[in-house]
Amino acid sequence: MIWRNAMEILQSVRYSKGQFKIQQMVFVLVATMIFFGIVAVFYVSIRLGSIKGDVQDERQEAVIAQVRKMSGTPEFIWSAWEDCASCVDIDKVFLLKNRTSYQGFWKDVALLKLVRVYPRYQTSECTTVSYPRCNEITLIEKPGYQSYEAFVSLCRYDGAIEQSRCELGKVVIGFEGVEGAA
Amino acid sequence: MNKKGIEMAFSWIFAIIAGAVILFSAIYITTKMIGTERKVSDTLVAAELDNLLHPIETNLEDSKYVNIRFVDETRVFNNCSAKGVFGKQQISTASKLIGNDWGEQSVRKTSFNKYIFSRGVEEGKKIHAIVKPFEMPFKIADLTILYGGNYCFVNPPSDIEDEINDLSGDGVQDVGVNISTSLSACPQNAETVCFNMIGCDTNVNTLGSSSNIQGSISKDGETVYYYGGSLLLAAIFSDTEIYECQIKRLMSRAGELGAVYAKKATYLEGSGCSNNLVQDLQSFVVASAINNSHEFVQQVVNLANDLEERNGNIAKCKVF
Repeated sequence: MIWRNAMEILQSVRYSKGQFKIQQMVFVLVATMIFFGIVAVFYVSIRLGSIKGDVQDERQEAVIAQVRKMSGTPEFIWSAWEDCASCVDIDKVFLLKNRTSYQGFWKDVALLKLVRVYPRYQTSECTTVSYPRCNEITLIEKPGYQSYEAFVSLCRYDGAIEQSRCELGKVVIGFEGVEGAA
Repeated sequence: MNKKGIEMAFSWIFAIIAGAVILFSAIYITTKMIGTERKVSDTLVAAELDNLLHPIETNLEDSKYVNIRFVDETRVFNNCSAKGVFGKQQISTASKLIGNDWGEQSVRKTSFNKYIFSRGVEEGKKIHAIVKPFEMPFKIADLTILYGGNYCFVNPPSDIEDEINDLSGDGVQDVGVNISTSLSACPQNAETVCFNMIGCDTNVNTLGSSSNIQGSISKDGETVYYYGGSLLLAAIFSDTEIYECQIKRLMSRAGELGAVYAKKATYLEGSGCSNNLVQDLQSFVVASAINNSHEFVQQVVNLANDLEERNGNIAKCKVF
């Protein structure tokens, strides 16, 4: 009943030709704006995905480049011998572990650790109690990383044999993935 | 008649205004989008440039040279900040647009473990990069020296001349540096660098030779101090402000590494290897808190040389 009354009132209203045209134009304009809005939303979402992909690729490239060169960085390099490019000073890396000043030093790196490949010991993560009879020194570990590895020699001075000793290990670096990247 | 005329005029005016708004909005959005795309692309170039500098870092090498070519004429902006534990290095780029205008500066790519020595803005399609290790007395970092354009070294010491010749493969590759015996023989567009004489854009004073080379460099009315061949080249190719900032950053890292080596020396002593370096390393850490290159030469160099000598005398268990 109310609905019928409302329709009757609407039908009784008389619009001029000009008002109809203005209404038509307004509808067309609103439709055009909505159309462009939808196109813009599509464009932004596609472009954003592509930028996220680019950032992911860039971080990946950076980590691959870093993992190859990590043994030569001042914090890792074994400088007692002058002819070993892939030797890492495991004592130095272990002492770096709890230094707060190095937090955030390796930018965009979500994982950074040294892993002993051979010989293996029973203790996994190195602590002041277990070192050097342990297998891993983790400097950085954040969730959600993609990692790359490079084999290196883990070198240190061994008081028992009174000379330097090198063992097989690897340096593992991971980068933080970008959420929503392809 | 009049009524009809007014109605026509109104719809036309409405259509023209609405059309103009849509057209101008489209042009504005497109222009903004092109600008943003350009900025995104320049940011990626800056990030790639930063990544490119990783593989050319040194391991056992004395120095490395690479020639970086950009697709478009590009400006590389070098920013250095000494704030924080290690300070920070930021690079950004901007490429040339159609005509003579330059695009907006890209987002800065930040790193804490890179040390780029250059002018504030380097420009060109081709940029030279020399990477040299910096050891004082242990390896502290790799110095990346970036420069565009041409330089002319007038009367350089034989070590520097040999190094430039080595990097260029005895002249096979253009490293952007000419060696000359007199200022008048330098190419006209080249930035001139005089060694132990005056009259050039940059004037270098040298004392000693080879790895012990030291002295001062004057340019743009300012003087900076260096020790060793790596810092000599770094000072020649960079703005004094950037050089001083990077020296401060390098010494901050030297201090942190010194503290790690002091701990290692203590640990080695506990493992039965006497080295007597703990005290000296701690003094080195204190001395490394410098404010400028003059303090660096006065406070750090002698201590570092002393440490190097004492570490070299340890037979079995060198600390560094």
